[in-house]
Amino acid sequence: MLLSGLICGSARAEDGYQLGHGYDVGPFNFAGYSNVTASLPDQGGDAVVLDDLSLFVTGHVAKLFNPFVEAELTRLDIVQTGEAGRGHGDGALVLERLYNDSELTDGLTLRLGKMLSPVGEWNQIHAAPLVLTTVRPAVTYRNFSEYLTGASLLYSDPESKIPDLQVYWQPDREFSERPRSITFDEYRSVAGVHVSFPVALLDQIGFSFQKSRDTQGVGQALFGVDFQYTIQKLTLRGEWTYSDLSGRAPGQVRQSEWGGYLATSYAFDDTWSAYSWYEEFSNRTAASDARDLLLGVAYKPHPAIVLKLEYLQNIGGPPVNPTGLFASWSVLF
Amino acid sequence: MIRLLLVLAFLMALPPVRSACAEDLLIIANPSVELAAPLTLKQVAAIYLLRMTAWPDGSHIVPVNREVSSDIRGEFTAVVLKQDNASLSTYWNEMHFQGKLPPLVQESEPAMLAFIQRVPGAVGYISAATPAIDVKVLARVP
Repeated sequence: MLLSGLICGSARAEDGYQLGHGYDVGPFNFAGYSNVTASLPDQGGDAVVLDDLSLFVTGHVAKLFNPFVEAELTRLDIVQTGEAGRGHGDGALVLERLYNDSELTDGLTLRLGKMLSPVGEWNQIHAAPLVLTTVRPAVTYRNFSEYLTGASLLYSDPESKIPDLQVYWQPDREFSERPRSITFDEYRSVAGVHVSFPVALLDQIGFSFQKSRDTQGVGQALFGVDFQYTIQKLTLRGEWTYSDLSGRAPGQVRQSEWGGYLATSYAFDDTWSAYSWYEEFSNRTAASDARDLLLGVAYKPHPAIVLKLEYLQNIGGPPVNPTGLFASWSVLF
Repeated sequence: MIRLLLVLAFLMALPPVRSACAEDLLIIANPSVELAAPLTLKQVAAIYLLRMTAWPDGSHIVPVNREVSSDIRGEFTAVVLKQDNASLSTYWNEMHFQGKLPPLVQESEPAMLAFIQRVPGAVGYISAATPAIDVKVLARVP
């Protein structure tokens, strides 16, 4: 079977390179994405930043050996006027994912290593060319552990008759922790479950539960719902999470943290679309809720290339994201 | 007049007729693939949507597609996958980021046939008018 995997991989490698499909070498596929963003906030300095330069390698070697690794260079300033924002500057090299998938039966997979937490759809497909907007709603990365290092069981019914399921457990700290400058919370134990009901090819409704403890000793139990639903050219997306907190860290003023966003997008054709989202986020360290509204347009000249231009307006509470104009150019390669 | 209206109503109720040039498709696989029964179209769709990734003997399935501009891919996409190209492209990009490789592309019928003949676990499709030489026919799509 190992030999079969190597033969298949070699056959894949005979095909030429296609943008967005990666490059095959033996049983391994080398792919990645880049994202350059321009930020012109109403207050603070303007910046052009290499937000991500990511390389991911997918291996299909044998039924029990399917390694995956992703590393990226993130937040590297190209042009900066005024004071650099949080996490910006000289860039950081980050190990995003490093795991092996073992296919136990058709549809059931055991994953061991460092992986993305299945809380909401956005976190699992967070690559810039794949997500709706340049500015990420806070609820898609705050209030939970985005990564976990440990074991996970995934079930995906080949015939989609029953929902997709993922359970996971991280016994200790994250492997190869990301720098503190680009993270909000660090977790030392994480466990949870995600259930997703496919509605159509891209449409689904998902439910998340995650129990965790951060490095400051604050425990949290998170409940979340996310969905995507398409009606012809109009797509609705949303995510809502609520965390009950136990313990108190410095600066914490609430015993809960919650947030939610609702997004709409309209595809004029295969290349042009307009989008918007509204978000409300109740930060554990702020006495009032942040409310943001975003409007934008996207141009997709190729399925692997996306240009986005958007304006975000903070309409209440202490800003999670600054008011201003944002643009990005992202390429899946 | 009533008869005419009834005939018109009957004709409108018929399913849309495929274009005259549309031919049956053959779902073909490398001779190494062993199946107890022919594949159903739902199973073929599950393979191309990356939900079914292994043959019954545990070997890896290698799905192969034609180039996006080809008529035969358009027919396969509409009849078997029941999706549009833009949605499929988005879906496969998302799957790729999550560690599942999208179908390979072969840009002609002879290239598709040669690839399927050569690669263990490979599955693809050709026109029923093309002789299915040295491959296993898993299903016929009318």
